[in-house]
Amino acid sequence: MDVQKHSVHTLVFRSLKRTHDMFVSDHAKSVALDEESRTGASVSDIHRHAGGAERSHAHSTVVVGYRVFQHSHLVQLKFPNEVQLYLFIICLFLFQSLMEGGGTRNSALTRKAPTMPKPQWHPPWKLFRVISGHLGWVRSIAVEPGNQWFVTGSADRTIKIWDLASGKLKLSLTGHISTVRGVAVSSRSPYLFSCGEDKQVKCWDLEYNKVIRHYHGHLSAVYDLDLHPTIDVLVTCSRDATARVWDIRTKANVHTLTGHTNTVATVRCQAAEPQIITGSHDSTIRLWDLIAGKTRVTLTNHKKSVRTLVLHPRQYTFASGSADNIKQWMFPDGNFIQNLSGHNAIINTLAVNSDGVLVSGADNGTIHMWDWRTGYNFQRIHAAVQPGSLDSESGIFACLFDHSESRLITAEADKTIKVYKEDDTATEESHPINWKPEILKRKRF
Amino acid sequence: MRLIFLSQDQLEAEERLRVQKSYSTALVSSHREPPPYGHRKGWVPRSLEDFADGGAFPEIHVAQFPLEMGRRKKTSNALAVQVDAEGKIKYDAIARQGQGKDKVVFSKYTDLLPKEVLNEDTPELQKPDEEAVKELTEKTRLALEKQVSQKIAAAMPVRAADKQAPAQYIRYTPSQQGVAFNSGAKQRVIRMVEMQKDPMEPPRFKINKKIPRGPPSPPAPVMHSPSRKMTVKEQQEWKIPPCISNWKNAKGYTIPLDKRLAADGRGLQTVHINENFAKLAEALYIADRKAREAVEMRAQVEKKMAQKEKEKKEEKLRELAQMARDRRAGIKSHGDKGGEDSEARERDEIRHDRRKERQHDRNISRAAPDKRSKLQRDQERDISELIALGMPNPRSSSEAQYDQRLFNQNKGMDSGFAGGEDETYNVYDQPFRSGRDMASNIYRPSKNIDKDAYADDLDTIMRTSRFAPGKEFSGADHGQRRDGPVQFEEDPFGLDKFLEEAKQHGASKRPSTSSRSKDDYHDKKRRKE
Repeated sequence: MDVQKHSVHTLVFRSLKRTHDMFVSDHAKSVALDEESRTGASVSDIHRHAGGAERSHAHSTVVVGYRVFQHSHLVQLKFPNEVQLYLFIICLFLFQSLMEGGGTRNSALTRKAPTMPKPQWHPPWKLFRVISGHLGWVRSIAVEPGNQWFVTGSADRTIKIWDLASGKLKLSLTGHISTVRGVAVSSRSPYLFSCGEDKQVKCWDLEYNKVIRHYHGHLSAVYDLDLHPTIDVLVTCSRDATARVWDIRTKANVHTLTGHTNTVATVRCQAAEPQIITGSHDSTIRLWDLIAGKTRVTLTNHKKSVRTLVLHPRQYTFASGSADNIKQWMFPDGNFIQNLSGHNAIINTLAVNSDGVLVSGADNGTIHMWDWRTGYNFQRIHAAVQPGSLDSESGIFACLFDHSESRLITAEADKTIKVYKEDDTATEESHPINWKPEILKRKRF
Repeated sequence: MRLIFLSQDQLEAEERLRVQKSYSTALVSSHREPPPYGHRKGWVPRSLEDFADGGAFPEIHVAQFPLEMGRRKKTSNALAVQVDAEGKIKYDAIARQGQGKDKVVFSKYTDLLPKEVLNEDTPELQKPDEEAVKELTEKTRLALEKQVSQKIAAAMPVRAADKQAPAQYIRYTPSQQGVAFNSGAKQRVIRMVEMQKDPMEPPRFKINKKIPRGPPSPPAPVMHSPSRKMTVKEQQEWKIPPCISNWKNAKGYTIPLDKRLAADGRGLQTVHINENFAKLAEALYIADRKAREAVEMRAQVEKKMAQKEKEKKEEKLRELAQMARDRRAGIKSHGDKGGEDSEARERDEIRHDRRKERQHDRNISRAAPDKRSKLQRDQERDISELIALGMPNPRSSSEAQYDQRLFNQNKGMDSGFAGGEDETYNVYDQPFRSGRDMASNIYRPSKNIDKDAYADDLDTIMRTSRFAPGKEFSGADHGQRRDGPVQFEEDPFGLDKFLEEAKQHGASKRPSTSSRSKDDYHDKKRRKE
């Protein structure tokens, strides 16, 4: 068998990697000190420093048996004269201080073996239904709380309601003058909210299928909206660099959240602090205090526009997607957790599962599936466009898991809605995890 | 010898004392040194030089500002250096300048490093419990409701006046006490009442004035590396050429043709023609040829057939005719025996022939009905054809011609123009040429065309040779031979020669402006005309 020629750097790196994998589970920590090797090393050091004291004839023997060696090794050393003895004691003190300084750090932690995070296995997702019916790009999706139907808003100015189980069209609502950019279904009242590029935010009563309220105030196209889960409040974000908080019943504009300097592309609401999170085209994410109507934290880590945000359903974390990479953050202060890099495209949408599957949909039609915890990209999908569409007309504008978290619904640029489900026939063996984390990623500075 | 270990300060002080002592007799020193320790009673440092590189003097109880440190500066954007609990300098004080000290601002490098992949159960990742969330929700809801109600109340129409809170009594103890103040009393009781708001009062202040926006909150530190520099090559890649429309040119620019066609891309594509086009063309050609051949063949065959038929018929007719002739001859042969006079026979023959001819013509006319007579043909021609053939004559009648429709009318005044109908073509009442008098209208030029011009005998006039140009008058000079109608004399002034010389000179050496320009001018004039 031919031996593959590698550079010295590669070989060293590989051996380091293998050593780490075999002996060290936690890559971020430095190697733990081993007791026996440490004692052996210290003994050899002392021998070196004492300069062959043991070789001399027995003049005065010093039995050094106190605290230096935890395993109470007794070493007999002989010293010719007093000066050497004193020097030896000083050296011992120095060594002890060094070793104890390291020892306290490790004594507690070396008991528990640190675990290397292994990504959780998720079955791959496959396309199982394509729904066509819209006459323009499908820009937004929302699923009703009872999981019976879902709503889509499109560039053909209509809002269509589809049956989730069969994919059949149930209802078409017209009223917007321009592209419908955001839809949301309220879980507290039978209302559907929609916002469009015509500056309108409409509230539809689903019992009568009519518009009952308009929320007037935005100065430019409204790009996204979200409903607060516990308070009857609607938050919309717009191209006029503001997000507005509306009281649903009275249509009053409670707060105008200013601070962004460019289009606010996405907004999310939650019940815990911070209650409103916005992502904008000025590459910042702002976490807002809803009571005061002011920014709590500004996150400036992204380099390109933040087009999408998603809140984890069970954890107190969220993720933001932008053209450079996807970042995960912690609440309530927005501490940065990690980067999920690999999807090198303009990310238009993110969605998260309770199982920890993060889906990122991009402007070029590709979908990447990630494991939330470790950031392992386990699948890449690029679905074919609807027959009759150009190949360049592939792009994903919105994606969403239904409430059962078993179906992924995506709204695409070839005017179709694609529904994906998990492949039941796949197992860990058929689709193995190919996890290659970058070891140099987590250096301590 | 006892070693006295002195500290550094003491050494310096001794040094200074020695120096001072040595200089006390010399010139006055320019530097004002502060007096040494122990000798400073009554001395106050007032200027910067009094401190002389040192610090403030703690035993002198006066506010001292060595190096101007510690003075309250009016305007300075310098931040005081702050130190955190561990003793490290807080460099992010700059980033936190305008904000409260517990506002979350990320400014350290460690804030952008990825963290450990945490287990799902760690407490940091758990959502806050339900009670906390409920509390927060309630608080938020109340705050928002208050805001909303304020906004709505501002927009609401006039309602009944709000009931003011009942009067409050305040006991007040003034600081200035004495018999003169407050008429000797130690305390006062004040009744505080809210002033009534007039419900019908319009708003007091104008709120339609636009004021510039206040300064935004201080910018957050940017937690990413700066964007990579753009190389020239990459910038060139993104260059978009200006759009040159094939239809519009708003500013009226003059654009060279190669730029006009540059964006077209027509020249870049190689035109691929499917070879089936050529195949189709060939197939059509072949089919056409075959069809023509087939048609020709068929026509020929038919012609042959027709000819054969015709011949057959002719044969039949000939036979019939022969039979008839024979029969007639047979009969005639019977009649011939009667009159044997040769003249009578000749006359009879002539008569017979003539009858036969007449019969023949009648038969032909009967047989070929489409072979119309010339007269009939001319009658059926269109009027424009007749005019083109030159057949009609202008109306020879000179008397006034009236529209025949005017006569024998028993209608009134408004009976003309057929009641105003536009569709009928009733401009003329009679046809132009009915063809009846075609024969008389045909123009036939007679021999005497020029009768009017030249009298009757044109021929005699043509033949006279009385007028000869070469004939001289009787008694005139001889020997002048004429070259043309006008005879030029020999030029007395020699202009011809002069002009010829001038032309020669002009052609060879110097261009003579006068004659040349005149010629050119005339030429040009002629050309222009």
